Amino acid sequence: MLVFIARRLGGGLVLMLGISFIAFALVFAGGSHAAHSILGQDADAAAIAAKEAELGLDQPFIVQYGTWLLNALRGDFGHSWFNSEQVVDLIGTRLPVTLSIVTVSVLLTALVSVLLGMTAAIRGGWLDRAIQFVSVAGVALPNFWVAIVLVVIFAVTLGWLPATGYVPFGDSPSRWVASITLPVVALLFAGIASTAQQIRGATIDVLSRDFVRTLRARGLSERSVIGAHVLRAAAGPALTVLSLQFIGTIGGAVVIEKVFALPGLGLLGVNATIKGDMPVIMGVLIVTAVIVVLVNLVIDIVNGWINPKARLA
Amino acid sequence: MRKLLLASAAALALALTGCSGAAAPQGDGGDAPATLRIAAALPNNSFDPSQLQTGNLVQYWQPVYDTLLVLDTDAALQPNLATEWAYDDARTTLTLTLRDGVAFTDGSAFDAEAVKANMDHFKEGSGSNASMLASVSDVAVVDPTHVALTLSAPDPGLLNYLTTVAGAMASPDSLDDPDVATEPVGSGPYVLDTEKSVAGATYVYTRNEDYWNPDAFPYDSLTVTVMEEVTARLNALRSGEIDGALIDAKSAAEAEKSGLTLNVHRLDWQGLIIADRDGSKVEALGDERVRQALNYAFDRDGYTEKVLQGRAAASTQIFNDQSIAFDAALDDAYSYDPEKAKELLAEAGYPDGFTLPMPQSPLFAASNDIIEQQLADIGVTVEWTKVVSEQYIPTVQSGDYGAFIMQLSSGNEWRDVYKSIASAGPWNPRHTEDPEVERLIAEAAVAPSDEEYASALQELNAYVVEEGWFAPIAFADTIYATKDVTVTPQPQNVVPSIRNFTD
Repeated sequence: MLVFIARRLGGGLVLMLGISFIAFALVFAGGSHAAHSILGQDADAAAIAAKEAELGLDQPFIVQYGTWLLNALRGDFGHSWFNSEQVVDLIGTRLPVTLSIVTVSVLLTALVSVLLGMTAAIRGGWLDRAIQFVSVAGVALPNFWVAIVLVVIFAVTLGWLPATGYVPFGDSPSRWVASITLPVVALLFAGIASTAQQIRGATIDVLSRDFVRTLRARGLSERSVIGAHVLRAAAGPALTVLSLQFIGTIGGAVVIEKVFALPGLGLLGVNATIKGDMPVIMGVLIVTAVIVVLVNLVIDIVNGWINPKARLA
Repeated sequence: MRKLLLASAAALALALTGCSGAAAPQGDGGDAPATLRIAAALPNNSFDPSQLQTGNLVQYWQPVYDTLLVLDTDAALQPNLATEWAYDDARTTLTLTLRDGVAFTDGSAFDAEAVKANMDHFKEGSGSNASMLASVSDVAVVDPTHVALTLSAPDPGLLNYLTTVAGAMASPDSLDDPDVATEPVGSGPYVLDTEKSVAGATYVYTRNEDYWNPDAFPYDSLTVTVMEEVTARLNALRSGEIDGALIDAKSAAEAEKSGLTLNVHRLDWQGLIIADRDGSKVEALGDERVRQALNYAFDRDGYTEKVLQGRAAASTQIFNDQSIAFDAALDDAYSYDPEKAKELLAEAGYPDGFTLPMPQSPLFAASNDIIEQQLADIGVTVEWTKVVSEQYIPTVQSGDYGAFIMQLSSGNEWRDVYKSIASAGPWNPRHTEDPEVERLIAEAAVAPSDEEYASALQELNAYVVEEGWFAPIAFADTIYATKDVTVTPQPQNVVPSIRNFTD
């Protein structure tokens, strides 16, 4: 088990090295406009040149990448070219925001999808069709549209929930819940839609298997069959879909972050890319890569625990 | 299954208990107003005084840094940290008398040495506005309350610059501290609360108890929240989470319906910069009749109505309507007359029109097609090259294109002349030199009275309009929406100064 984890983490490090090189090369190839972003559109040529020299943008690619890499290996991710904040601090304040909404939405997605998916598979009939319809609608509705509708109804008109902003859990747990409710609901729709379908499909498949028939024949209650056995078997594909969703939403939540003015990681990454703020871009990439590696590792371990057949030697 | 349902219901109940009304509305009536909460459309860059910016970012540094002078809402100079100012006859020495008894929040005194330290730091820094002090060759400490600036040449913009970033004063000890970018130390009405602030998201300022002019700032604290999406700002205004924010023409109608107050002035012009006035890139543009023809091609009134939803004013000049260089008569210079345009083109030797290569960016998606169409109507065929939004400004400033679409802000008239008309200006990408332009700029620089200064600049304005250096179409409304607070727009700046807000 430990060897497995170690090998996975080692692979993750190689992955991060590769990603950082490719990303740096891509941003570099696009031509740097960082000096223009920093100094504004009215800056004259002399000011631009001075700023580029200050940032080391006149150095060749390998020197720039090498400098970044050597510093990163020592834990120094530099500071934003735009606002002089330490990259580590910037990410540190924004990561909890994104993780909050993503984790809560994925957990709720899992909960609701299991309910809906399994109900659809087991009960069948009109309930199944209704749930399928809701699922398709969920995928079809763009999440930013849902977000805006939610804000207009619940925040602006009814005033039940805040329209913008994020309150850290440490400041006030109840206001934290209030500040993430609308963003999470907006993210739920599409998530539930695809995961419910997945679980429905997996459940139908498992229910038709021989071992289920055998368990029933042996006199196990339906609740036990479903709760203990079918759920376990259907969990595999569900966990994979959920992990993909988690990773996708980390970056994909940027539109939600914009609508609700949440200071999240997605928005940090997008803005840094638009401005050409290299240290921040690289920092966000590395953090995202770390999350991807860890999530995949955790999912594999959980999968192995739930379903012994999926365990790796 | 039932347990799951119960758990979900419990979670939902918990969520709803947190909704004790979105944001507590601010205490109205009563004694001292509490907090002013505004949203900014851009995140702050830095509190390093040499890096400060005008425009949207002033609301971040104005709470902590006082300026030497202040530009009031009628665009008149007012004393602030400097109580008197006077030029000598040659207009190359400016003497400032400084306010006595002012201290920075770290205890150091505001005096002539502090002014010198700040100005030297500003000039030598790599900030984009360092050129504001380019004409200052020396800052001399006469005595603790007097400073003498020596100029290499007369600079009519200098006093105006001292009302903004070039006149912002920080504690001299903080200037060498690398933390100054995130922890400002000034003598201003507020202090940045670094504990409660979250970089790039929320900036919280609390009252500086020792401030020398507390009456000018009625609020005890101030919060500036970064909200880059206009939708988020509008929703926050409507739900009472913030008191003021910049919105745009598209949101204006909805804002009005929700009972928000719209505070409007005009700063940004849109249209073409016809950079190639000597025809070296696009031969046709070298003839002023061709450039004038382009000016006749645009239906400015139609554009204002349809593209800018009526929230704009048609214009043929690049100076805003409150600028000293503005001349209302010039707006009649070019009517919408495609026939006349074709006549001028034929006269100049282009009866069948010509091809005009231009960069195309999604930034101007609303106008690209219309401009292309109206130019086609007079025989000018636009040849687009797609450019990514982020690369647009470097591309057009490189001088590779004879003409391009742009939106520029017009503020202080001298700075406008420098950036768009003077040969070294960033918005004169092919560095056109013209003896008449040079003459008028020189005349304005040494003008002995305000009237002669204004008249020289208006003549310069008329000249560039006649010569077709630009083809402006309209000045768009800059709209600052407020809820339950009163604010006056600040001349020459997109957002109001902090001192312009009252209850």
